[in-house]
Amino acid sequence: MTGMTKSDGKQKAAVAVSVQNVNMTFDGFHAVDSASFDLDQGRFLTILGPSGSGKTTLLRMIAGFQKPSSGEIFINGAPVSAAPPHKRSVGMVFQKLALFPHMTAAENVAFPLKMRRFDATTIPERVQRYLDLVQLGSYADRRIHQLSGGQQQRVAIARALVFEPDLLLLDEPLAALDRKLREEMQLEFRRIQRELGVTTINVTHDQREALVVSDEVVVMDKGRIQQMASPTATYRTPANAFVAGFIGVTNFLNGTVKSTAGQEVIFAAGEREFIGHWSAAAGAPTVSANVVGALRAEQVRMATSADELGQCRTVLSAAVTDAIFEGERTAYEVTVGMDGNIIRVFDHDPAAHKQFGIGEAVFIGWNPQDVMIYPN
Amino acid sequence: MTAPLSKSIVIWVMVGLVLLTLSAPTVVVLGASFTSGNIIVFPPNGFSLQWYGKIASDVGLRGAFMRSLTVAAICTVIAIPVGTLAGIALAKYAIKFERSLQVYLLLPFTIPLIGSGIGLMLLFGQMGILGQIWPIGIACCVINLPFMIWAVTASAANLDPDLELAAANCGAPPIATFFHVTLPAVMPGVISGSLLMFILALNEFLVSLLLTDARTVTLPVQIYNSIRSIITPDLAAISVVFIACAAIIIALLDRLVGLDIFLKSK
Ligand SMILES: Nc1ncnc2c1ncn2[C@@H]1O[C@H](COP(=O)(O)OP(=O)(O)O)[C@@H](O)[C@H]1O
Ligand SMILES: [Mg+2]
Repeated sequence: MTGMTKSDGKQKAAVAVSVQNVNMTFDGFHAVDSASFDLDQGRFLTILGPSGSGKTTLLRMIAGFQKPSSGEIFINGAPVSAAPPHKRSVGMVFQKLALFPHMTAAENVAFPLKMRRFDATTIPERVQRYLDLVQLGSYADRRIHQLSGGQQQRVAIARALVFEPDLLLLDEPLAALDRKLREEMQLEFRRIQRELGVTTINVTHDQREALVVSDEVVVMDKGRIQQMASPTATYRTPANAFVAGFIGVTNFLNGTVKSTAGQEVIFAAGEREFIGHWSAAAGAPTVSANVVGALRAEQVRMATSADELGQCRTVLSAAVTDAIFEGERTAYEVTVGMDGNIIRVFDHDPAAHKQFGIGEAVFIGWNPQDVMIYPN
Repeated sequence: MTAPLSKSIVIWVMVGLVLLTLSAPTVVVLGASFTSGNIIVFPPNGFSLQWYGKIASDVGLRGAFMRSLTVAAICTVIAIPVGTLAGIALAKYAIKFERSLQVYLLLPFTIPLIGSGIGLMLLFGQMGILGQIWPIGIACCVINLPFMIWAVTASAANLDPDLELAAANCGAPPIATFFHVTLPAVMPGVISGSLLMFILALNEFLVSLLLTDARTVTLPVQIYNSIRSIITPDLAAISVVFIACAAIIIALLDRLVGLDIFLKSK
């Protein structure tokens, strides 16, 4: 991921953005801590992390609003730290959109073209083309406050794209929308990005959005990049316990290593022993080390008798403590045996399955290959 | 159940009293200006426009009125750039002298105008510019500038800092950002502030009294001079002209920025 230089980029797809060892400290506080990644031309990257993890700070450094304390950012191979924001070819959609309230939709979209000295005779045609692209062709003369939330989003996208920037930045612009509109706009971002092929860095704290829209996902926590991988790999093979817990609904079993055989680990949690496999990106399991086993809620099976769970190598008896019908699935919480561990279980396709009630005695089971083990 | 009703009655009576008190001087002077008699009384003695005719044909008054307009215009023209920049700077940046500037903004309420007036009179006297009109405009600007700064600061405080970043992101260098984004955003404050400056300068009396002489006398001073001889209904008519000027400006304000914005300014 690191050590990228200008000449490396020429072999396969060209590297559009290269962030190299970038730090940002505020009075000794590391908002961004040694961030490094490369993003190829035309790719859609999502930076995913909880609030306060440094996502906005990283994005603002790429846009040029803040100068890194150390490290360098390259856009199309050229270092940009010395360039002020208005000299960078970067379009940004702000979290609160930051549309110019005294201008119409068309004037907002025309503004970057005027500022970047595009040939004035071509501006109206280009503005119309981009308003059409975001399906606002007939709203050109509306003032910003006369547009709905979703329409304002679209104006902001058009304004960020109209001058054909090398890079598009999205700072959680969908966070304020209701769920339906948000999901609609996620797909809209994806459509426009594919249509134009513009390299995009999106920021969100919404794991679903990260998985749905991106080619690649960077997970951030406490200013550090935890993992960079495809959405599938991020979900299936998290690099550490934080990523495993942040994406998806995950059960954690804390324990100590009893024995190891290659990547397979047997560990004791409470009075029980479980089997899992070492999943951390680095290191290896050692006996009596503290570890945590991570298990997705959808990998846990549930049945009335242990026999029905024949295909599971690990089977436990449990009692249902909560059952929430969510339409496409039922989400259960069960308490395991006497050590009181709570396990979350997703049962998909509930229509064909038995619905369990609160207080019911059940058996749950899973397979060791679904238990991902990380150092604790 | 009756408590809210009696409460609302009390509130409405209070509101009525306040409105009455506030409008009483205006109503009285308006009425008195239409009297057909020779003494200033309310209610007026009959109806006529004779006093308006009299002030319209009074060369001295007309000259004083024109001078007052000039003073107000000079004051406003200076206040707009100075007050706008100061107001934006105060709202946006952590300024070194913010404390002193805030004290300065309180000055109009703490230093008696007569004090500022004497100071300015001495200063202008030494510079040898007394006896001209434009120094009076500058004086009005100096003593009232805090109102302008306040109006702009109130607008600028609501300015989303991301707007300026967005402009930079669109490729606008700092000066273009200022003219295309920052200035339009604080425009309501600039407009209400400058109209306020204009009214204050038009009505300014005490400082002008010290800075004017027979050739440069402004309207309020001129009125004061005639009160010292005899109070006649033409004074009521002049007052109505003043009130009309203020009303025109308030109407302008309403047209340009909407009074709701003005009233919301903190
Ligand atoms: N200008 C600043 N001064 C001091 N601390 C800041 C500043 N900007 C951000 N921070 C801190 O840096 C951390 C990361 O902030 P941010 O990048 O906004 O996180 P995110 O966008 O992931 O929610 C936060 O703890 C925030 O308080
Ligand atoms: Mg943020």
